Amino acid sequence: MSQLVRIEGQPRATVPPQPWHLLDGERPLVFVVEGSRLFGVDPEFFSALQEGRVDAEEALMASGAPVVMEDFTSGLPEPAAISLNIAQSCNLSCTYCYADEGRFGGKQEFMPVEVAFQAVDRLIEGAAGRRVTVGFIGGEPFLNRGVLYSSVEYALARARTKGCHVGFSVTTNGTLLNDSDVRLLRDNGFAVSVSLDGAAGLNDRHRRALNGTSAFESALERLRPLLRDPGRARVAARATIARDDLRVAERIEALAEAGFADIGVSPLRTSPNPDLVLRGEDWSRLLEQMIRAAEQEWLRVRAGAGFRFSNLAIAMKQLHAGSAKPLPCGSAANYVSVSAQGGYFTCHRTIDDPRFSLGTTEQGMSAARREHFLQARHVDRQEPCRTCWARYLCGGGCHAEVLSAGRSGCDYIRGWLDYCLRFYDRLLRERPDLFPYPGEVS
Amino acid sequence: MEKIFALNLTARADKTVAGNPVTTRLESGVGNCFPGLEFDHRNLDRRFFPGLIFNFGTSPGVPLVGVDVDDPDLDPATFEAPDANAQRVLRTALRGQVGRDLQQANTTWVLDSIQQKGISISLRTQPGLTAWRLVRSLEAGEVEIVLALRGGNRTIPLTGWRRTFVNPKTGVISGAFQAGELTQSLCSPWMHDFRDCVCTYWASNHPDIVLAEQAPGVEPDPDAEETPIDWLRSDRASLDAAAPTEEDNREGQMDHYEINLRWQDLAIVLAGHEITSVFTPRVLESANPFETADALADELMSLAELEHAVALEYLYAMFSIRNPTEVAGQELQEAVEFVSHEMLVIAVSEMRHLRWANQLIWELEHAGLTTKPREPSLGVARQIPGKEPGQLRDRALSRLTPDRLDEFIAVEKPSGTLDGEYARVLATLRQPKYGDALEQLAERILADGMEHYTRFRQIQRVLKPFQGDPERYLRTLTPATKTQAQAALTLYDSLVGDLREAYRSGDMEDASRIASARAKMFGLRDAAEALANGGKGVPFF
Repeated sequence: MSQLVRIEGQPRATVPPQPWHLLDGERPLVFVVEGSRLFGVDPEFFSALQEGRVDAEEALMASGAPVVMEDFTSGLPEPAAISLNIAQSCNLSCTYCYADEGRFGGKQEFMPVEVAFQAVDRLIEGAAGRRVTVGFIGGEPFLNRGVLYSSVEYALARARTKGCHVGFSVTTNGTLLNDSDVRLLRDNGFAVSVSLDGAAGLNDRHRRALNGTSAFESALERLRPLLRDPGRARVAARATIARDDLRVAERIEALAEAGFADIGVSPLRTSPNPDLVLRGEDWSRLLEQMIRAAEQEWLRVRAGAGFRFSNLAIAMKQLHAGSAKPLPCGSAANYVSVSAQGGYFTCHRTIDDPRFSLGTTEQGMSAARREHFLQARHVDRQEPCRTCWARYLCGGGCHAEVLSAGRSGCDYIRGWLDYCLRFYDRLLRERPDLFPYPGEVS
Repeated sequence: MEKIFALNLTARADKTVAGNPVTTRLESGVGNCFPGLEFDHRNLDRRFFPGLIFNFGTSPGVPLVGVDVDDPDLDPATFEAPDANAQRVLRTALRGQVGRDLQQANTTWVLDSIQQKGISISLRTQPGLTAWRLVRSLEAGEVEIVLALRGGNRTIPLTGWRRTFVNPKTGVISGAFQAGELTQSLCSPWMHDFRDCVCTYWASNHPDIVLAEQAPGVEPDPDAEETPIDWLRSDRASLDAAAPTEEDNREGQMDHYEINLRWQDLAIVLAGHEITSVFTPRVLESANPFETADALADELMSLAELEHAVALEYLYAMFSIRNPTEVAGQELQEAVEFVSHEMLVIAVSEMRHLRWANQLIWELEHAGLTTKPREPSLGVARQIPGKEPGQLRDRALSRLTPDRLDEFIAVEKPSGTLDGEYARVLATLRQPKYGDALEQLAERILADGMEHYTRFRQIQRVLKPFQGDPERYLRTLTPATKTQAQAALTLYDSLVGDLREAYRSGDMEDASRIASARAKMFGLRDAAEALANGGKGVPFF
């Protein structure tokens, strides 16, 4: 596999970074990359920018102060979120699973309770009073139910003594949930992420139960009580899109019908089965599908409904806030993952890959390794990201995927973000109630 | 016209705005005692003469306390002086021997005299504060001063100009003043002397009485809305009314020891109310704007009809209140007098809204924003927002019974239908193409509407002791026949005709038709009062 990106040192290229992105239309928009600032501009001014007129460019840059991006050179705080890989094993055998159809390359393992407790101790200690999150992942975490339950209880008790707040999350296929699990999720306000790809036919194509039954039906049957009454829990569906079926709107519709109010999709970029991974023209087709789904969402939201397509909802929230990040996610910065054996890794996607190891629950986490990892991956040091207008929105793409498959689908990401910026402007006019401006007081 | 509009939060936060920080604005003051005392004025005048810093104290004489050779007003690159030559000479002098003499150790120089436009005033024997007032009287422009060495014979004359304290275009305070310099002699709030100091020199004003905190989303308690409480009270949970004097409140206030321990419990005050948690602005601020100016104008047409209808309902109800001479007991007499007065104030204010709504319609049309002409809107709505959201009731002429009062309160309720519609109007007018003037008109209507609600709640409170027997304060009023009310109705029709003509011409301030309509309103009032004395109300509709 070829290494497509250089991950260290200063770039050699001399192409200057793109300072803004122009979006034409009835009300032209300018997205200033620094600080992710979005402006509406009058058409004449927009033309001047298109023509590269210096006075217009200066006027635009005078509209805000320069923004200094975090560079992780010093004082990196301890992570406030961990995921515990409590079961490196799964009762399903999904064809696309990065964990090798749940077999984890033949190393099925369960996390001992001592490791979980140690990781929780270090988390709460390091967070020093900040709110912390403990996530449970796998494989299928409910295969190691005992450790899951004890870890929740332990984390709550430790948090109480240390005076901090602890939140929980779990990523599950839903097929093993029992009544007691539902109670646990409700009572502790879990963020529950359920992996489901759409209606039964679509879902079961790749998400396969080992016993040959419908994984969709068995998941829904177990999830129904939680969907009907989530209590304090927040339940979301996450669909993986493989290249053999790029439809998005249909998945959202089916999962909404199944009772989910929060539905997100994610394209398959790496998989033990390369035939399913998106490539080439798939990306432009996926973009069409994403936009089709978003336009359906537009009709609902404009009429007063809340969002259910979470890719769009999150984009709106971040664009409104002007989120500008030098990294794609919190991995290694605010979030790390713990393997069944107690190894710290940069995230759940890099478990047991020595290139992403950060230490052990026994010995502690290496701050130097975290800093080195983050500095090397700063989006301003990546090619071709460094000059891309979307770099602080995208952050450069999933570290794990970039390392194994390079950067692909960048036009898709830019296309989607361009669409989202226009969507935000539309929504701002139709539903300003969704976007409060702090400080605007009558 | 502005070319760049900030849309998202970072764009808005980073928008560079010329001017002084918001904390220097009058509306940023949290107090209610001496609005405007946001800095010590003497600190402005201490730098009245470029390059020199004086101190205005209470003892005689005005000592020079510093020479600032870096004063931006001395530098032609940063300040265009009234006289470029004088600027050069003064700068050279202060940077040279004169400056050195003035700063020589163990010497004190004082401001001996000031001279402007041929008038010279000696400050030698004046107390510092008197001298300050005289310096204050200098106008911007050329000034000559004489400095004298205290205890010696030497004097130094200097020619310069009185500083322009703020940039006349931007209002920005002169860069000569250092951060904190304008407030440096004020008492420090939230500290020990917050309790006792009576010099009123507060950097940020010191609230003495406040209204109780309003829980967000909860209907305000009309009693609490009326009851000022002592801000410095030791029992923070107490909502007892403050005593009328400072001395009477003293006993229940935090003592010195306590204020040092619990200063953080003293609440922030916003819009007169204590706030102890995060302030949540009213949601209505972000109401949905109308898509087009025509849609906005159509809405204003129907809002004007609504204003007209409620104005008539209120007027009718007002005449159902007995005169003070018709009721027994001082409390009831005062109550009916108060209620009649307040009802009239609200009705008149609704008439004003009617006019503003028409003005908005007219302005939209004449700014070329609407696509078709509209006649003034002087119809009377047939239906009025009811007590439940979205519910409508038929317009009606009836007495001010407790139920009727509830209906009036429902119409005027903040975040009720009327308020909500104006919030949409405002949200639309806030878009840049509409300009400031229209937006401000809509804001006035909204703010006025809030007051109606409070006034109605006050009326309810005042009538509460008598609500068991409303007939004690109500006349047995029924609508008159058209014939009985002919005089009143003729006046009403005629004044509406005047208004229609006036609104059509768009000249809202000076039109003689408006004056004529006003005169007829007084006539209408007398005619209605005469009818009411006979138990009849004007059948407006």
